[in-house]
Amino acid sequence: MRSGMNRRSFLSTAATVAGAAAMAPLLSACGGGSTKKAGANTREGLKAALPTYAPNAGAVKPDMVPVRGGSDAATDPGFLSYPAAPPTSVSGVPGKGGSYTAVTPLWGTAPPVGNSFYQALNKVLGVELSMKPADGINYNTIVPTMTAAEKLPDWINLPSWWNSNFNTGGLVGSQLADLTPYLSGDNVKKYPNLAALPTGAWQNGVWGDKLYGIPCFSTSFGVPGATFYRRDVLEARGITADQVTSADDLMNLGKELTDAKRGVWAFDDVWVYLQTAWNVPMNWRIDNGKLVHMFETQEFLEAVDWHYRLATSGCMHPDALAGDVANGSTRFYSGKTLIAGGGLGAWNLSDHQSGIAADQNYRRGAFNAVSADGRSTPVVYMGAAASMISYLNASLKPAQIEELLAVANYLAAPYGTAEYTLISFGVEGVHHTRVNGVPTFTEEGKKDVQATTFPFLAAPASVISNPGGEQVTRDYTSWAAANVRFLTKPPFWGMNFSMPQALATAAAAPNVNDTLKDCYHGKKKVSDVQDAIASWRSGPGGRLKQWMTDNVLDKYGTGQ
Amino acid sequence: MSTAAPERPAGHTRLNWRIRLRRDKSLLLMTVPAVVLLLVFNYVPLFGIVTAFQEYDPLVGVWHSEWVGFDQFQQLFGDPAFWAALKNTLYLSFVQLVLFFPVPIALALLLNSVLSERIRNFFQSVVYLPHFFSWVLAVTIFQQMLGGAGVLNQFLRQHDIGTWDIMTNPHTFALLVTSQAVWKEAGWGIIVFLAALSAINSELYEAAAADGAGRVRRMWHITLPGLRGVIVLMLVLRLGNALSVGFEQFLIQRDAVGHEAADVLDTFSFYYGISTGGYSYGAAAGLFKSVVSLLLIWGANRLAHAFGEDGLYRK
Repeated sequence: MRSGMNRRSFLSTAATVAGAAAMAPLLSACGGGSTKKAGANTREGLKAALPTYAPNAGAVKPDMVPVRGGSDAATDPGFLSYPAAPPTSVSGVPGKGGSYTAVTPLWGTAPPVGNSFYQALNKVLGVELSMKPADGINYNTIVPTMTAAEKLPDWINLPSWWNSNFNTGGLVGSQLADLTPYLSGDNVKKYPNLAALPTGAWQNGVWGDKLYGIPCFSTSFGVPGATFYRRDVLEARGITADQVTSADDLMNLGKELTDAKRGVWAFDDVWVYLQTAWNVPMNWRIDNGKLVHMFETQEFLEAVDWHYRLATSGCMHPDALAGDVANGSTRFYSGKTLIAGGGLGAWNLSDHQSGIAADQNYRRGAFNAVSADGRSTPVVYMGAAASMISYLNASLKPAQIEELLAVANYLAAPYGTAEYTLISFGVEGVHHTRVNGVPTFTEEGKKDVQATTFPFLAAPASVISNPGGEQVTRDYTSWAAANVRFLTKPPFWGMNFSMPQALATAAAAPNVNDTLKDCYHGKKKVSDVQDAIASWRSGPGGRLKQWMTDNVLDKYGTGQ
Repeated sequence: MSTAAPERPAGHTRLNWRIRLRRDKSLLLMTVPAVVLLLVFNYVPLFGIVTAFQEYDPLVGVWHSEWVGFDQFQQLFGDPAFWAALKNTLYLSFVQLVLFFPVPIALALLLNSVLSERIRNFFQSVVYLPHFFSWVLAVTIFQQMLGGAGVLNQFLRQHDIGTWDIMTNPHTFALLVTSQAVWKEAGWGIIVFLAALSAINSELYEAAAADGAGRVRRMWHITLPGLRGVIVLMLVLRLGNALSVGFEQFLIQRDAVGHEAADVLDTFSFYYGISTGGYSYGAAAGLFKSVVSLLLIWGANRLAHAFGEDGLYRK
């Protein structure tokens, strides 16, 4: 049981759905591609379009306050308990009685149409908002049929990793409403809960210097993942995470922990989130004003080489080497593996509960960011500050847009407020009851409220809260606080640009990535990866780089 | 088709089609749903072939995608990964033909010789069962038993015998997938041969036994000739499908042995076409496969006719 939807719980859902896209950092920064579209943003234009940030004074005080890192980086606040008497954040009824339709993706079972939760929420919102959740797994094919017929609903969520499928860059302005006049600069102050969303998150809704999208589940701690370890097992052997300060330390630790006869191997797959230890760029790097792809760097080859050695060292679980990803968490819970890379979405209450079920001492920990040589400053590349973006229909009248933005303001009420409690848990006594102070779903609540719908239209910035698993919140927030200073924006961070289909295929570089995977599973040598890269560079890779240089770097810079 | 089919009546004048229509009305009606399904799911989607000659963009649809002629094929034939996938497909198909094809025949003969009804039913149930497992389950069972951390290797490891790399060795992958296929599908494959066996006139056996023919002679002179038509038919179908060696089985184990050993034409279309958004490229690879398959099945059928067998249809 989690307390409402936050960014991390969303990521854990999305990771299973987005699958390859979530696992391949290569694709994540490339906005996507299609035919006609709005361009990226200029520095001044972006600045003018973005709303002014104003923290929410009425928000519940967190137990762990956010720790600031570099620009736009901060940890999410942590809460150990749920407020007994939730304060009110929005006064009055936001709506004026308008009727609207909304479409959001849904990964799970759809709540019944016109259920008591929808009714209760519509009543307090003062609008007739008819929710039409659509199957999340096929969402990328459902939306294009609506756009082709120009029949978008009044309000829709368009996850940014599908921007190329949706042709979002071509829809803004023609089918999606320009919100710049309503939200840019100080205009946003009319909607204080929206003004409290981090600026970096709004950036994902800006196309061609105009603001179109409202970010959901925004965060200033866009860290995609980490290298996890079994804290209970390691500490029982007197090993603490801070003893690992280099890649060699990690390898030696692995050798010490592996006991194949007992069926224990230290490592599961770690490549995806460990490669930054070698300072491998997240897709691109700028050297002397020129674009360099990660495949072209020496750091990349060094990282691959270490992982090849790891795969052949006998410290990696054979099933992991056999590419069995699906059972990775089972291996981790049962202590068959002790060190595993993974998305941060995994570090939450349900993970804690699954782990405890397998081993009652279970405790997840994450290694601090390290540099491979143990001397340089570690780097953690920031992911998007929001990837679930909602848009309004361009055919809405200004008064209607204002009405829906007021509704969005209500939906973005911060953690622990009365509004948040209603949106996340429904009506007390009907959809949830308090069990030891923790809002807990009733059967009706599980049916009507648990599936995320309204928060996909607008939601407050994410928080860390695991009621019933305070240890998880403490562990997570202290790890985040220790690592936030290493957060670094990769080039083109938060930039919306779209590339043609053929180049999106080039960016996916299937042959290089296949060979790479074979290499970090010990089946191919580093030289094979080099060969694959060489042939990629001479063909699609070269075209990709040229396009990025001509259409993004030279026109708009790196967005930093 | 089957050996039990009656001989075609010689010199029989054909009835007027109208009379035949009236006579077979209910039979024809019964075939309508199957024909409709075939049309909707097999013939209508054929239209999608045009995407192989386009730079297909799902956003603008088939009608408005750019026409590129044979560009996709040109790129395809210049792609070493494609030739590697084709080579793998042919090699796996050959290995399966040699090692898999005879197994159901042998099993059917064996089963046919078992007289006890109970043992026969039990045996049949056991060998049919794996057919109903999904490939995910089948591969998981193999991984649990023979994988690097599986039952066998853990036993070997604990007794310091040294491990045996079965599941992740690209060099023996063809044998692995064939043995998986035998385990999963051979039992199911015997059904058609059992049907053919039951159609052999038992009086022939009695007459042969009365003439003093032993088991081996009876098998050689009665059983095998009786099965020949079905065996040739299955062989023709198998050859026609030579380029379809399976999809899920390879998809699931691709990471275990690496893409070079596991990529067959179908997974190639998937990985290098669909999953990277290069739909037209995948369609081109698929079309190539279909054309070659058509030629193969045509050739195999001709060969069957040349040997005086029915093949797919009677000449």
